[in-house]
Amino acid sequence: MTPTVLYHCPCLSSDPIPPPPNAPSSSYQFHPLHELFFCEECDAVRCNRCVSVEVSGYYCPNCLFEVPSASVRAEKNRCARNCFMCPCCRNTLSVVPSDPSDADDGRLLTGGLGVVGEPPFFLYCNYCRWDSAEVDVTFEKPTGLAAQLQRFEDSAPDSLEFERLKEHFEPFLRASSSSGHPQATHSHPAHINPITAAASSALARDIPGVVKYTPAPRGRRDKGPRDELSEYRSRVEVAGTKDTSNVDFVRRLEEVSQVAALSQRWTSSWTTPLRSSDLRPSRIPLRSKKTKRCSTCRHILIKPEQKAQSVRFKIKLVAANYLPAMSIAFPSPDLARQRAAGSRQTAAEDTSGASGLQAGGTYPFQLALTNPLYDPIKVRLKAEPQVPPPSFTAPAGGSPEKAKRPPFVVRLPRPESEIPVAAFAEAWEYEDDEDMFGGDDDELGLERERGGGGGKGKGIGVIERRANVTVVGGEVVIGRDAKGSIKFNMLVSYTYRSDDPLADEEFTFYTVVDLGVIIPRVGVESITSD
Amino acid sequence: MSALAGGPSTPRSRTSFAPATPAGVANVPRSVHSGTVQASPHYQTSRRHSLYGTEDRIVIDPGSRIWKVGFSGEGRPRDVFAVHPLWCLQRSPDPIQRDEDDRVLAARVQAHLRAAFHDSLLTEPKSRKVIIIEHPLLPVYVKDIFAKTLFENLQVPSISFASSHLLALLSVGRITGLVLDCGELESTALPIFSSRPLFHQLRTTPLAGARLTSHLRALLLLFGTFVPPPTSLSAAVNMPTSSCSTRVPLEVLSDAVLEEIKTRCSFVGESLDGALGPGIVSPSDEDPMDLDLPPSDTAPSESEFSRVSADRDSNAGPTSSDFSVVSQAQILPGRSSRDEHQLQALANLYMRHSTATNLHLKVTPPASQQAGTGQGTLIIPGWIRERGSELLFEGGDVDEGSIAETILDCLLKIPVDLRKTLASSILVTGGTAMLPGFIPRLHVELIRAIVTSPSSSPRPPIAPGRPRPPPYDRYAVLRPLVPHFAILNNPSPPPPSNARGSANAGKAPAFTPATMAWVGGSLAGALKTGGAEVPREKWDEAGGLPDSGDDAMEEDDVAGRSPANVIPDWTRTPLPVGAPPANPPPPQMREATLLAVVGA
Repeated sequence: MTPTVLYHCPCLSSDPIPPPPNAPSSSYQFHPLHELFFCEECDAVRCNRCVSVEVSGYYCPNCLFEVPSASVRAEKNRCARNCFMCPCCRNTLSVVPSDPSDADDGRLLTGGLGVVGEPPFFLYCNYCRWDSAEVDVTFEKPTGLAAQLQRFEDSAPDSLEFERLKEHFEPFLRASSSSGHPQATHSHPAHINPITAAASSALARDIPGVVKYTPAPRGRRDKGPRDELSEYRSRVEVAGTKDTSNVDFVRRLEEVSQVAALSQRWTSSWTTPLRSSDLRPSRIPLRSKKTKRCSTCRHILIKPEQKAQSVRFKIKLVAANYLPAMSIAFPSPDLARQRAAGSRQTAAEDTSGASGLQAGGTYPFQLALTNPLYDPIKVRLKAEPQVPPPSFTAPAGGSPEKAKRPPFVVRLPRPESEIPVAAFAEAWEYEDDEDMFGGDDDELGLERERGGGGGKGKGIGVIERRANVTVVGGEVVIGRDAKGSIKFNMLVSYTYRSDDPLADEEFTFYTVVDLGVIIPRVGVESITSD
Repeated sequence: MSALAGGPSTPRSRTSFAPATPAGVANVPRSVHSGTVQASPHYQTSRRHSLYGTEDRIVIDPGSRIWKVGFSGEGRPRDVFAVHPLWCLQRSPDPIQRDEDDRVLAARVQAHLRAAFHDSLLTEPKSRKVIIIEHPLLPVYVKDIFAKTLFENLQVPSISFASSHLLALLSVGRITGLVLDCGELESTALPIFSSRPLFHQLRTTPLAGARLTSHLRALLLLFGTFVPPPTSLSAAVNMPTSSCSTRVPLEVLSDAVLEEIKTRCSFVGESLDGALGPGIVSPSDEDPMDLDLPPSDTAPSESEFSRVSADRDSNAGPTSSDFSVVSQAQILPGRSSRDEHQLQALANLYMRHSTATNLHLKVTPPASQQAGTGQGTLIIPGWIRERGSELLFEGGDVDEGSIAETILDCLLKIPVDLRKTLASSILVTGGTAMLPGFIPRLHVELIRAIVTSPSSSPRPPIAPGRPRPPPYDRYAVLRPLVPHFAILNNPSPPPPSNARGSANAGKAPAFTPATMAWVGGSLAGALKTGGAEVPREKWDEAGGLPDSGDDAMEEDDVAGRSPANVIPDWTRTPLPVGAPPANPPPPQMREATLLAVVGA
């Protein structure tokens, strides 16, 4: 696993300080930088959990047709053109004409032209070879298929039954609402006297029972507020729907795939056969383009272009343009191997530093800070201590206070020290820095070697500066009996030049750094040999 | 309502709901079913211009495992999705841990709600009123989390909480009935009379989907067969599968695999009434338990409630162990050799009577056997497919009655004059009830539990049939009701007897049990009714929630007064529904009720 740095958005809790990184709720408060927005008005990070979302347009992900919002509702958020999903594999279906009955050459021709063919058209899945003729869905014309299918949907038993239920309840509701004041008082629970409530409830409860046993011709007004509901006669009774055949079908099942998966039938509210061979194609659900606003100041943070084909944004205030990007890496494996050549037998298996975080080891890492701003910034880093024992510098183990020790200690440049990161500039402005890179590598390697030697501070600090990137070295010292993963919260604050030329402004945010999982010790010699 | 968008709508509904006419608004029906002291929805005449009419509400049926979301006025949910189990029957006793759990729950609920609005429904929450379908035992803290997220994060204009059982009843065109919801965590029977849920007659049992899953897992571990993937392709041809088949490793039986087995392969076989006496099914160590059986038809409601909470406490333990659920919750893993023997006998019996085919399911092999080629094969014996669900019908346990017993216990608590009506209008809903054959079997079990009262079968050897005056014959008083029993949505009802009520069986529309509550919610939304509506202003006025620990405060507060009580809940009603008692309920009872709801 590569080490990650996630950024905090404090929207989930009232506390601006994030929870400890090992708490389960921590993972919901940190996000990758590219998912975050930045509200200039509030000067705050916003995440997908706290922005308010508005729909700026609907489109079909398959045909990229922009659906006018007026028809979205009638089409039930699904594409009303020719886009269908295979019920078995969710692939997009294509419209295929039937084979011409007589001539072979005819088929070749129609195949080339695509839409011209014999009248019964059907839908065909190119992936799993499902075709809609199996379920008796064929079309006269190759276009406007959704409209042709719509007829089936409108006459679906569930919607018909639903309308009937509505008609069944409406007169009853009207009757019970139009007569009598008791209901009016019920609508104000806060002001009702409990005794009255109870009494009226007791009274009201008895009335329908009385009515029940003295069936009288319909005179709703006389019957009091809670008239008895007349018997509902279902359009289709469940008793007619062959559940026993389902039992027999499942009993004799040969292949699991003969039964439709739950996810293929759970949106259907009507009793349907279980067989997967009875599944019907469904229209492709629409997607929406979303405008996101800051939920506190209502300013737009992101606004896509209207056209479905366009992937650009009219407004785009993403956090990546404001906060320094951070990426963390362990020095490349050959360097690590060089460094630890003498003491480590298993070095060949270690492809990267991250896969080999052995308990009891000391590992340097590099934190690259990238400045997106056009002005230079100064960054200060502060790792939130697990438990800060200052004496825990010597990696020699076996000390009595083992239990008190934190599982690992992270060493970063001192919180007071400011790390300068140069301003972002367009690529062509960096030409002069070209030769800098070559020299840097050597320097880096040397410094690694010295840093690995165990002395504090050698590998820690700025180890590389180029363009708008500054690489900072850090080190993690893992306790001998440590377990779990190395995750720590890090407070990052940076100062940038503001509009006011005299004072710089500062912005502070939290991150969580996940370096990977500690490999528990299995009797290996201490890696950090002095 | 579809009046705005021009969908199919009857002219009548167009006129009666046109918001322009004040008369139409006055005609807006008030609460059909909300509890006596709950608010009925009140509709403003103003209508904002938006894609859907403002009166189209969002109906969300959030389960602990499966959520259904959609627009009111439609016959089916727009989207259904599974979530990682959100809550369970226990809460951590440690307050710090509990706070942390709540934070995680809030974050996950928020993610799911946002996804429901933005990805499934593609609508803006700001203009959409929301109906949340709530299980009567949905913990209050979960409701608070929903309300907090919807009001503060999504800024919906109002929320109504509507009882899932009642809505399910609406979806079959009734307002009176005994609704059994067999869901994931619990099976809950709730009688509803004239659209009033009789919450205090509610009965519940933890025998439901989650328990069935762990039971299936235990059965498969013992009796299933796993064929690891062949080590090489040539081996696949040469080796007979029997030579390499093993017991099922636990890793293979992931939740997804079990869900697949449960939803695609399992069904409920007919009752093995003759072959399988109750003595075989239930282990012998339950004799002492029967002594504890309270005479539930005469017990005062206080003790009943404390029993509900005790039930929930006691089932906290056994659920953690896989073996303990194999046959009875009392069995400890330490005694498993004897139990295994017993199970083997049970398995043999089931095997003899099962004609279901064995199934081969391709599964991902465990990490240790990844070396092979392709996927392993899990062989599911046919009898497990057929008889795994026997667990749900095995009664005799005081704390965890079978589903049939739960219904009957509920009937025992119902006032005598309602029993016949409710017994003849039983409705079965919930995802677990989707198992083919579940409902007909439940009917058989109901009758069987009454006719051969199971608790009378142990110690004193009484001739089967009709024992004379057995001391623990719990359901004797229900015996005259036998011809009246009818399950409304029984797909294969027994031939109707001459009793009037039994003609109800199978008369319900053919909505699936799992979506009934949602369909009812959609109907309630279309009819402008639904549970008590909480507008956002009210929430804002109350200043949201005190962050946590509000449970303790509610107990001394009179409902509806304190800011924490913005969210209506039946446990917060000042009086039980029904005749007013002479005195206000004693505080310990309220506490018990609350505990029962919170599941603490």
